[in-house]
Amino acid sequence: MRPTELLYGEREASKIRTRTVKSAKTQKDTLIIEAVEILYLLYETPMNQSRKMIPKSLHPSVPAIVGVTLIQASEGPLDAFCLAFVGVACRTGIKPRHFITSSFCNNDKAGQFFCNRYGFNCEKAEIILTENYDEISGTITTGGTEILRTSINNCIPLVGGSALIKYSPPLNAVQLDEPAMIQFEAAYDFKRVVRGECRTSCFSAESLTENMLAPSRGIAGSHAVVDLTFLPVRFRLDMQIPAEEGGARKI
Amino acid sequence: MKFGLFYELSTPRPFTIETQRMVFENAIEQTVLADQLGFDSVWCVEHHFLEEYSHSSCPDMFLSAIARCTKNIRLGFGIGTCVPEMHSPIRWAEKAAFLDMLSNGRVEFGTGRSSTWNELGGFNAKVDDTKKSWDEYTRVIPKMWTEERFAYEGTYFNMPERCILPKPVQEPHPPMWVAVTAPGTEFDAADRGMGALILSISDVERNIPRIQEYRKRVRKCRPVGSFVNDQVAIANWMYCNKDGELAKKKGQELINNFSYMAGQTVEISEAYPANNYKALGLLGSLRPDPNAPDEKKKPPSSGLCLGNPKDIIETIKRWESAGVDHLIFMVQAREHLDQEDVLTSLRLFGSEVLPYFRSGKTGLAMNS
Repeated sequence: MRPTELLYGEREASKIRTRTVKSAKTQKDTLIIEAVEILYLLYETPMNQSRKMIPKSLHPSVPAIVGVTLIQASEGPLDAFCLAFVGVACRTGIKPRHFITSSFCNNDKAGQFFCNRYGFNCEKAEIILTENYDEISGTITTGGTEILRTSINNCIPLVGGSALIKYSPPLNAVQLDEPAMIQFEAAYDFKRVVRGECRTSCFSAESLTENMLAPSRGIAGSHAVVDLTFLPVRFRLDMQIPAEEGGARKI
Repeated sequence: MKFGLFYELSTPRPFTIETQRMVFENAIEQTVLADQLGFDSVWCVEHHFLEEYSHSSCPDMFLSAIARCTKNIRLGFGIGTCVPEMHSPIRWAEKAAFLDMLSNGRVEFGTGRSSTWNELGGFNAKVDDTKKSWDEYTRVIPKMWTEERFAYEGTYFNMPERCILPKPVQEPHPPMWVAVTAPGTEFDAADRGMGALILSISDVERNIPRIQEYRKRVRKCRPVGSFVNDQVAIANWMYCNKDGELAKKKGQELINNFSYMAGQTVEISEAYPANNYKALGLLGSLRPDPNAPDEKKKPPSSGLCLGNPKDIIETIKRWESAGVDHLIFMVQAREHLDQEDVLTSLRLFGSEVLPYFRSGKTGLAMNS
């Protein structure tokens, strides 16, 4: 291809917080948890904020989008847990992904699992996902302060071939032998899916996006019940070199 | 078999005035040549906000420019978006008839409903309603062309009695088409007596069942217009060179370039899951699914018109056998090829491939 000025992220790798991941390379087993609930909301956000947030090896999504995900399991090998994370929509090559800006977990055992395998830098938090007759809501509270309150309303069921959500896989910044990104690998078997309108009454940019980015407009939200299979990580991504230029390597 | 060109007007960054003008002027030059060579049609998309991928927001204006510097080539809206937040059906009826007047009756009117969040979100469109509004538009537009005065009260559109002008040159009106991307939309085309403009690029064999089903259903259709446009057109890539291997290599570069641009758009199904967008839309179907298993990411292995003239003739014969009436070629992506390279490819196709399908199969393949 001819060289062209593609859109890239602008953030220096040295300015991105990473967490040392111990066992991403060695955990080869799969883990299945049934009847997991996933609340997933997407918002548009200004392009200049998105580009400042993501590393130079990633392309921002066009339009710029930020996503909020809450995953709740009521039982299973990790016990009951709720994992929540916020990410900026981006691409590696042509593949849609979310670069994670913050993550939270209410269960230490699960938090360790998500950290050690997938690089989620989970902060301990109270996370509540609630389904009511007219809305499905999610909140995150840390240190007694609510940092996220969001919901989907006026939900409609998605049926037939539409009864699925295309989650963009999260990318976490981690410290391997050098700063890199690894991807949350999962497979989803959908049992029930609804879509609704986003409503967000609290979004602490300071807590969720390092004060660098905030939603500007709701797109849509969904709530799904799925059997969720956690898979081993497959590859690592460079923070500076785009995937299409050799910045992706198998683990 | 008929042959056409298909334009997205994809534009490389940086979006300088010179670059944008070059894309438009090159496309017009290619189309003028195609008209001289005997190509049958040129189609132009309507897209909005799709950076790099398509800067073709006003296909009617592009086609109007073509109309005044060509003689025979037909002018296809590929497609006009039938979404109220973007266009009133009155405006589509007027624009198509206006172009029909300027071109002395050469318009093909393709319809569709958009498939990206970039576009539908950008216009604050009601995503859940696009299929229903498209259906309503396809039923009122032909009446606007054929009835002296027209009044209507519907779900997505109302108007008091007015005379919509101008009326088209073609009697009773321009042929109507539907963009077919997701499997099943060919049934919508057939049931309404509209041509199927199949914009998902895939193997010949994969298209045979949908073409057969289209033919079967169109026989029992209730046409939305005044006649049945029983035609199947399929989008394809074309690069013709005496060196077949070089042609395949350059063609693959075009496809890669296109896929990369298409991958930058946000499909409706990725952002706003909805029951009326069950599968990937146009862009998603033209590009490899980035999350598909490796074997499904591969582009179609057969059916692409990339090669030397003989290779391409053999490929087109297979499409012909499959029941396709019209192949519509993409010949450029983001100005990846030099303009002269594109023109040379078109000339070679025009001199050695077109004749085979025009007059008693006397072209290169018969002589070789």
